[in-house]
Amino acid sequence: MADIERRAFVKGATLGALAFTVGGSTVMLTARQARAGNVPFRMLKENEAETIESIGETLVPGARSAGIAHFIDQQISVPPEQALLQARILNVKPPFANFYRAAVRAIDGSSDKTFARKFSMLSPGDKRDFINLMRQNKAEGWQGPAGPFVYGVLRSDAVDVVYSTMDGYEALGVPYMAHIAPERRW
Amino acid sequence: MANEKVDVVIVGAGASGSVYASVLAKAGKKVVVLDNGPDWQLTDLISSEFWGRRLKPAGAPIVLEGKHPFGYTSQAGWGVGGAALHYFANFPRFLPTDYKIKSEHNRAHDWPISYDDVAPFYDKVAAEIGVSGDAKQEEKWRPAGKPYPMPPMKTFPNGQVWLEGAKANGIQLVPAAVGMTSQDWKGRPACIYDGWCHQGCPTGALANPVVTYLQDARKAKAEVRPFSTVTRVLTNQAGTRVTGVEYYDDRRQKQVQEASVVILAAWSAQNPRLLLNSATDKHPKGLANKNELVGKFMMTHHIAGTWALFDQDITPHMGTIGAQFMSYDRYAKTSYPNAFGSTFIVAGAAMKTTDYANARGDLFGPELTSFMKRAARGLTRITCFGEGLPRLENRVELASDKDEFGMPLAKLVHSFDDDAVALWNANFEQGIKVAKATGAKEIWPGKGPVMPTTHLHGGAIMGTSAANSVTNSYGQTHEIPNLWMAGPCIFPSEGASNPTYTIFAVSQRGAENLAANWKTIASKS
Repeated sequence: MADIERRAFVKGATLGALAFTVGGSTVMLTARQARAGNVPFRMLKENEAETIESIGETLVPGARSAGIAHFIDQQISVPPEQALLQARILNVKPPFANFYRAAVRAIDGSSDKTFARKFSMLSPGDKRDFINLMRQNKAEGWQGPAGPFVYGVLRSDAVDVVYSTMDGYEALGVPYMAHIAPERRW
Repeated sequence: MANEKVDVVIVGAGASGSVYASVLAKAGKKVVVLDNGPDWQLTDLISSEFWGRRLKPAGAPIVLEGKHPFGYTSQAGWGVGGAALHYFANFPRFLPTDYKIKSEHNRAHDWPISYDDVAPFYDKVAAEIGVSGDAKQEEKWRPAGKPYPMPPMKTFPNGQVWLEGAKANGIQLVPAAVGMTSQDWKGRPACIYDGWCHQGCPTGALANPVVTYLQDARKAKAEVRPFSTVTRVLTNQAGTRVTGVEYYDDRRQKQVQEASVVILAAWSAQNPRLLLNSATDKHPKGLANKNELVGKFMMTHHIAGTWALFDQDITPHMGTIGAQFMSYDRYAKTSYPNAFGSTFIVAGAAMKTTDYANARGDLFGPELTSFMKRAARGLTRITCFGEGLPRLENRVELASDKDEFGMPLAKLVHSFDDDAVALWNANFEQGIKVAKATGAKEIWPGKGPVMPTTHLHGGAIMGTSAANSVTNSYGQTHEIPNLWMAGPCIFPSEGASNPTYTIFAVSQRGAENLAANWKTIASKS
């Protein structure tokens, strides 16, 4: 059998279609589409989402528009056994929402202590400096899950939404070569 | 609720459980397999780094303690097929020295059997489920055994770039033996080298249980019950026989499945948990635990990965997730001064974009963006798996926290000894030397503050008597003849080779012994 026949080459943005709630109805969207459509968050508060988007974008450029906050928000709204987050394989204890909320509190609390403002309000240079301190467990006044671990989890999420999608592979010039393309139900 | 009594109930539908199910069902036994997760089908194995995570643990968490906690969540399984549904399918054999480590080095435990006892079953497994490799090229290390039934897999530049660098350091890399199809074989298509193995191979090219033993078991009328979480093994009043298991079904209803023989194949961390949680007045310390050896001697391999980045396009995404090349040239347990234990070397795994990002976990922002672009063309890795010795204090015990069914969680305590740490460091030094000799533009060790672990063994080790072990060489517990243990939990030492081939072989040996001695073992129930 020719390779081309067995591989299910699928183009487009069907990868990562998640169940979002829009106007009381469930619709399947990518995280990028959900952000572009300003879909309301299920679990995250606006300030939490803002911090996640800001740090996600600093960690992996493109994460904001790729919908990192909508991705995390949707994922922490489903039972942990259905979650596709890297938190699952990084040994984060469910419910995963607790981890993300604690992480945001730690980031903004430490940022406020160091720079007298929330992380999202920092200058680009200060954001980088803060992340460097966080990943080395040196962030001032840090209270919550260990800084290096928070760095690792959020960086993984940002990598996911930017690079683990078909679009992400295409942007890097890496053939996706799916056997079964990811457009299925949970 | 009680179910009709069966001949055998197997707890866990992974590598070892599926072998037992196949052998015993084909021997005419009425077999029920209980697994706590979904009944994955090939159509569920979506080619996606996100979706592949569904195959990872989702049941009760394991409490991790010790200086070097075992990182189980990325490698254990959940659901029918277990970890073998997303494993790398590297199929190196253990070598004779692994079975005689006590005799040869006065360390750890001898197995109660030798390589020669297992060799026919390596061959049988290879013929049954298909292994690709080049036995001729392995001759300098490999003891007796038949050639592989399929020729070696294709190789790609991301693997080939390691050959000369390894050779310059006295390491011969040969085509890796893998449980994959290098050609169409027994109705399964040849691998197409897309690297989606770890997300579950839906083509059937990779020998996961769903397309091999479990498929055979089902054809022979074995019944698989998904979402069935076993909490206790039940015994008769005298405590001399097991009578079945208690479990919670997919509707969270408590059920009892009676059986003439109970086989625990729920992985090294969960099997001891079940034995310990099945304590009775006749077995106050847990089943098969009179000498308090259940849950003891846990072992895991450590990993030393060295990265190399080339300017030219070496197709990092091509191949399989396991390895293109392997070497036993540092397998002798005294290969390095001031360290002890075997090292197994592999090179040239297919990588996905998260692998690129994880190769430089310190990078973020524009630097990460730049690195990702270069990695997509030129990144590759050589990996050394190192042996950890069995230590009594590395153990599984019951935690105070409980799961949703009221069963105490497993607590896994693990710390490497000084020999293992020294071996890990020596393997990094070796990896750097090899990488330097490849001519790569950049090289670096994948070394962080955490000592990476993989492949959990022990917890119900085999031996010559109850004084030194939980089971005999077949997996039959010394204390209760119709209670059997299967999988890496019965390994008394771990070598450095990927274990699944040996899990299959030892399970095949145990299952055939159980079938051959069925009347003696099961008839008293």
